[in-house]
This record gives sequence, C-alpha cells and structure tokens, in this order.
Amino acid sequence: MEGLDESLVAAHLRGDPAAFRELVRRYGDGVLGYLFRMTGSRDQAEDLFQETFKRVHEKARTFRGGSFKSWLFTIATRVTIDTARRRKRATMLSLNGETDCDDDPSPLETIVAQDAADPVDEAVKEEQKEQVRRAIESLPVGQRATLVLAYYQQLSYQQVAEALGCSVGSVKTQMSRALAKLAQRLPDSVDVTQ
Amino acid sequence: MNQHLREQQLIDYQFKLADAANMNVAQAHLDECEECRQRLQKLVRKFASLDLLRDEVEVSESLLSKTVENAVQDRGMGILPMCRRAILALQVVVFHGRDARGTHGQDARATSQTPSQTDPGRVIWLYRLPALGAVAAAVIAGVGLLLVSTSRQDNRIMPTVAPSLPAQSTASAPVREEAYAFRKDQSMSSVTAGVGKAEPTAPSKSSSPKMSLTDAQPDATRSPAGRVGLAPPEPMSAPRASVKAEGPVRSVPVRAYPETPYGVTTNAIDAATRMAQAPEIAEQPPFAPASAIELVVLPRRENVQLTIYNGADLTLVRERRNLTLKQGWNWLQFMWANTLIDPTSLSLEPLEHKDAVQVQQLVFPPRLRERDPKRDESRLGAQLGRWLIHSEIGGQVPFELTYFTSGLAWRAFYMSTLSQDERTMHLEGYVRIDNGSGEDYEDAQTRLVVGRVHLLDQIAALAKRQHPYGSPVSSGMYGATGGMQEGKTTLDFSKSGLDVSLVLHDVEQKPKGVHKEGLSEYFLYTIEGTETIPDQWGKRLLSFKAADIPVASLCRYDEERWGTETIRFLSFANDKEHKLGETPLPDGTVRVYGRTDEQGRLSYVGAMAVKYIPVGEKVELNLGPARLVEVKPVLMDYRTENYTFDPNGGVSGWDEVRTWKIEIANTCPLAVDMEVTRGFETSYWTLKPPANEVSYEKYDITHARFRLTVEPRSKRVFEYTAITHHGARQEVASNAK
Repeated sequence: MEGLDESLVAAHLRGDPAAFRELVRRYGDGVLGYLFRMTGSRDQAEDLFQETFKRVHEKARTFRGGSFKSWLFTIATRVTIDTARRRKRATMLSLNGETDCDDDPSPLETIVAQDAADPVDEAVKEEQKEQVRRAIESLPVGQRATLVLAYYQQLSYQQVAEALGCSVGSVKTQMSRALAKLAQRLPDSVDVTQ
Repeated sequence: MNQHLREQQLIDYQFKLADAANMNVAQAHLDECEECRQRLQKLVRKFASLDLLRDEVEVSESLLSKTVENAVQDRGMGILPMCRRAILALQVVVFHGRDARGTHGQDARATSQTPSQTDPGRVIWLYRLPALGAVAAAVIAGVGLLLVSTSRQDNRIMPTVAPSLPAQSTASAPVREEAYAFRKDQSMSSVTAGVGKAEPTAPSKSSSPKMSLTDAQPDATRSPAGRVGLAPPEPMSAPRASVKAEGPVRSVPVRAYPETPYGVTTNAIDAATRMAQAPEIAEQPPFAPASAIELVVLPRRENVQLTIYNGADLTLVRERRNLTLKQGWNWLQFMWANTLIDPTSLSLEPLEHKDAVQVQQLVFPPRLRERDPKRDESRLGAQLGRWLIHSEIGGQVPFELTYFTSGLAWRAFYMSTLSQDERTMHLEGYVRIDNGSGEDYEDAQTRLVVGRVHLLDQIAALAKRQHPYGSPVSSGMYGATGGMQEGKTTLDFSKSGLDVSLVLHDVEQKPKGVHKEGLSEYFLYTIEGTETIPDQWGKRLLSFKAADIPVASLCRYDEERWGTETIRFLSFANDKEHKLGETPLPDGTVRVYGRTDEQGRLSYVGAMAVKYIPVGEKVELNLGPARLVEVKPVLMDYRTENYTFDPNGGVSGWDEVRTWKIEIANTCPLAVDMEVTRGFETSYWTLKPPANEVSYEKYDITHARFRLTVEPRSKRVFEYTAITHHGARQEVASNAK
C-alpha cells in the first residue's frame, strides 16, 4: 500500500485536493479507532482526528517516504499526548472542568438506543466491552499506544516503533507490560464472535 | 519436566515478544506440558475479549468532510496568526532596541521607569516617537502583505512552487510543466480568474472561446493543473477549460467515505459544448484527462463479493458502488497499487438506468512513478484505469465493478478423529482463506469454487505488467510493452451462472455455515454472511462436520511399492451410507487422530493429501507405516522341475517352484485386517494356495493378493508355493489354463 500512499501524498503536495481527501478516507477509520481507544471518548477522538489530519495536511512535505501509516500514527500519537498534557494542565486549573465522558452515553443508554434484538445479551456484551475499555484506559499512555497500534491497528512491531519513535525492543517491552496488566484486568471468558 | 512457564513467559510467547531462544524454550516446554498449554489457552481466551472493541469505530461522512474542510481552510486562515506573530516579533525588536538604548543612557525617561511600569510604558513610548512608530508600522504592513502574498501563492498556485521539489512521478512532472506554461501563456486576468479564485467555475470563464477543439484538448488537461491548490474540495467537479463553455457549470457534490487501498474517483468534466441555461450533452466525448485533478471521491463500496478458485490463482471480485454522475460525460478513475488486479479484466456496469447510462470506453493512462526511498530512484507506482461514462441523467447510480485479482487462495483441510476401536471416525472439514492480494476486503461475501479453471496467463503476471495489454512475460520495470492484445483469460462467468444476488447477511453469533451448490463442472461453496479478510491474513471456517462415519482400517504389505514396511490405510466413501455424500470434497490435507482412552485423549495417527473426491467415490487414506505390524516373508524352498528339451537335446523349458512362509506379527491391541501382495515377475505362474484359511486372489497378471485377519498381539503364519513357468513350459501352462 505504500506505493499508493506515496502517490497520494505526492499528489497532495502538487495541490490535488482529492488526494488529501483520499488519504483521510483510507486511514480515517483506523486513526479514529486508534484515537477513540486512546482517549475513551468519541467526541474527544473526533477532535483529535481533525487535529491529526490538519497536521498531516500541514506537514505532508516532511513525509520522507516509507510507511505512511507509521508516519500518520506518529502524528496521531503526538496529537494525543499533546492534548492529554494540555487537558491535564487545564484540569488542574479548572474548578469545574468537564470530564471526557460527559457527552458519551452510558452503556445502558447505548443499549436502549440500539434497540437490540436480545437486550440481555447486549447488556452483558456492553458490560464486557466497558470492562475491556476500562482495562485499556487504565494503561499508561505509552503502553496503551503500543497495544492499540500493535493489536487493533495491526501494525508490526517495527511500524509501531517507527510510529512511537523508539526501538523495537522498547515496543516489545511496553507491549509485554501492557498485556501482563491486561491479563489481570480483562474479563475471564468472553464469547467473541466474528 | 522443567519448571512451569510464568504468565509473563506465556504472554511473550503468545504475542511473539520473546527472543528466539526464549521462544524455543517456551515452545519446547509447551510441547510437553499439558498444564501450561491449558494456561496458555486460558490466556488466549482472556485476550480474545480485546476483540470486543475491534471494528466498532467508523468515520462518518460528515466528520470526514469537516476534517478535510478544516485542514484545507486552516492552512488558508493561517495568515492571521502568522501576521500576529510577525507583529509581536517586530514589537520585541523595537522594544529591545529601546531597552538597549535606555541601558546606554540615551533615553533617560525609559531608564527611569520601574519594572512595573515597563509594559505599559513601552506602548506609550512607541506612540510618543511618531517617526519610529511610523517605520515600525510600515515594516509590519510590508511583512503582512508579503505573508499574504506568499500564502496565496502557496495555497493556490502550488505548481509554481512545485518545481523546487524532487520529482515524484513521471505523471506528475509533465503536468507540472504544462501547468506552469499555462500560467505564463494566459493573461494576468485569466490567471487571476483561474488561479486566484477559489471558485471552481473560474477556469471555464478563463478559457478562450477561440480555441478549436483540437487546440482545446491539451489545454483542457492543463487548466485544472494550473489551478491545483488547496481550495475547498466541494467544487472539485468543476469543468475544465472548454472550448465553448459559457454558462454555469454543473457541479457534483463531493462524497467522502473511508476507502480501500485503491481509490475510485470520478473526474467530472463538462461537455465542451454545454450551453448556458439549457445544458445539452455533447456528442463528442471529452478527451481523457491527463491528470487526476478535480476528482470527485466516491462512496465506499456498498458491498463486495469474492469468488475464489482453488484450481487457479484467480479471484473474481464484484463490487457495488453508488456513483454520483452528472448529466453528460463523466470520467471515472480507478487507481490501484501493490495489488494483483488484472487490468484487462476491469469491467463496469450500471445496475440501474441501463438505458440512460452507457459506459463508453476504458483507457489506461501510463502508470504513475514514485520515488523509491531505499534506492533513491523512481519506480513504477499506482496503476490507473479511466472509464468514460455517458449519462443522460444526473444523480446517484449504482454500478457493479468487476475484475480479476490474484493472491487470494483457499484450500480445504480435514480433521479426522478415529474411535478407539477404529471402526468409526468423526470428520470435520474446514476451508482456509488466505489473502495475499495486497488488498483488504471488508465484509466481503465469500464464495469458493471447486474445480479446474483453464487460464492461459497467470493473473499475477498480468497484474504486474507495465502496460495493461502488454505481454506478461516480458514486463520489466522499465520495459516498454506496448501492443493492444486482448486479455487472454478464458473464463466466462456470464455462462457459469455466478451471477447471484449480492445480499449481505447479518452477522450471526453461531459458527458460520458454508452452503454448497453444484455449478456446471464447478462446485460452489458460499460462506454464510460476510467476511473481513485483511491483506496478509488467513481465516479458517468450518465447512461441515460428520460423526460416526464407518471406516475400514487395513494394513497392506507390498514390497514392490513400499519396501519392507507395512502401510496403514483408512477407507470410507463419500456417500450417504457413510454419512457424507452431500457435496464433493475438495483437495486438501486430512489429519487423522486416534482416540486413545475414554477421556478423549488423542494421539496423532497420520496425515495425507487427498485429491478432489466426487460424491459416491471411495476414499482411501494412506496413514503411513504401521509400526506395530510387521510382515516377514521367508523363502523356504526353491527348486526347478518339469524340464523340456528341444530336438537337439537342449533345455527348452522348465518350472521354478518356490515355497514362501509369510510371518505377520501384530503387536497392537486391535485386530488387523491384512492384505499381502506378492509378485512373480512373470505372467506364467500357478499358485498352491495356503492351507490355513487365508484367501487369495489374482490381483493382476503378475501378482496375487492374500487377505487375512491377525488378532491383537498375536502372530500368524501362512505358506504358499508359487510355480513359475519358463520357456516352452509357458505354452504348456497356458494350454493347461
């Protein structure tokens, strides 16, 4: 896929607006999924999503070839970390700061809204999802980023290392620690169907 | 046994986080330790819960449009912050200068200020020195204008900046030059109209009505390139410079969705002769655009169907996409890279409004080139195909796009578990789909075809050619392979009846079934629901399951075929009697396990590859040497007799008599049915049958086959005498028969 990515970046640099749109389309789901899993909030993830692609748009000239996906996730990670830092500072200063989850419906609301075929099953599944989400959110940012990139975004450890700007060894260490923590926090048995 | 593996070691092993040495240690331990295997399984089940959060996030169309819009606009809007920064910087310079002078005693008032007065004092001081203030204001205004000018150029006249960049592709380089030439050739007003404005219709206004059609065509390709920029993307369907275009131009709204590794885009070009208020469709189609500018990004595919053949490296992909067409001529671009699509197989058909929408032609622009960062040279990049579509209507039209691709494969394999008495077996059939096509297929309806397909060319070779119609053999990175040969793939799907509805089933919680149906000389397996098969991934699905299939276990001894080893066979038939027979069984590997005790522990018995098994056909599985059954033939007696002589007294014929003792030792706990084949190296033979309840038959002209059963943990011996006839005795023996 790298060849097409590079072609699209080159077309974007030449000023082809469709190329940038195509890049957003190609990687939109992946980046939004990554940001959502990193932040735990859909609204926040969408904000970061826009910020990420804004930076991609601005910094496309700095892309030196290779894996565009890694480069993109590097930016997404930086945006996430920068925003987390800013939010941390803002939270410390604010007396009535909003929480990330204020705008997100509760799992129960989601279930009711979804008009599920079997509400009990859906409720159990939503509860399990919430448990998994909480387990992932409890990880430190570095471990969370490593896990999400390697597991959910299916980047190779090499690509994760490129995206996070560290060595493959560090990635494996972070991944190993993240999984060890998750092993303690994930639900024991879940019926995961394709 | 070594110490049990720690949880961390199991995690590292499962996720391949350990180094090679530790992986080997863990693997070796797991091979031996049931407990650790179970702990590992438990961990795997636990981590499977992570998949609950997989694939639940999707970018909405509005978010995508908003993101693109923001990114593009923010770049244009970036002037103000830059101006602000410039002004601040100038203020710092001015104030720093003032401070410096104050420090040197040139301004007593400034130095006399207390630190608390400094900030307001600076501002006041600036206004108190009108000359300096005027200079500063002039500089600020100058810098501001410069920034605005630079920004406009940067935003809207990218090609003028682009030549300083390294060349990206062969396709892009000429476009850039042409665009530059176009700007130089046009009058300032037309350049301003075409470039400076963000409005998409500007170029049509700038086109010269004097141009002839022939002259206009190259300019039609230049015009958009000249105004390539970061203008809002909505009006990307604006017309190109046209010969007589005078009126307003129809624009197609941009739709944006997450897309596949290749892009499908339309290039909406207005007909050159479109009139102002009463648009009429031009009879002459527009020239194929030379660059992918003004492309309208189309919605993602609505659904996709894969038909994968296992007899050849061939997959038929059928996609349904809703394209937004405008009335008139439309260019649709299909672009792909690093995939194994056969360009000659591309086909596009409207599913509705077939009378009003005609796909006129498909052109293949030259492949794009791109920089290879490893070799620092250009290489072949994405491939393009562009359809010219003539539409009498405007709006959304569903299309079906079909093409052949390579790299997707499926294969069957079977797991068989023998009962303890080895009289019945449990058989599970699976199909495994591997995707090495370079393309992710999401929610694809997957159909697998059993049968042989005759292909003259390999799709993978067709896909890698530089030119879509070149010879796949001679294609090289830079090899020119022209010519307009037709595609040679001889499969005709319109005749094979593969046109079934693209209905996507809901994802079900139970294991997916595989529906089978006959199809001419092929057999079609359709997997329930849809499957997402990312590139480089494999997926295994259960095809069928059958229990208590009666089987026959047989040991064979045949020195001429297998030497001195006894070979074990398992046989059954693909028919109703054996609880099978609903469908043919595709080629695949059968792995056989034996149940060793009541607890269900299994032992590996053997594996073999089986060929396609039609319904009603007998299946015989070669499970390899039977170590617990030994056959030992011993020659007990040899003599010659019945000599005949010719008139000269020479020997003209004789018989050879051999007596063999066959010892069979069965050390396994089950009775064994044996089949011993013996050869005589001549077709003139007679046999004195064994005495002790051993039956035999003439297997072929030179072989006899003995059948007997050997009880568990016992020996059985039988003898036979074979008489072979030679020379003149052959005739005597033949006449006697």
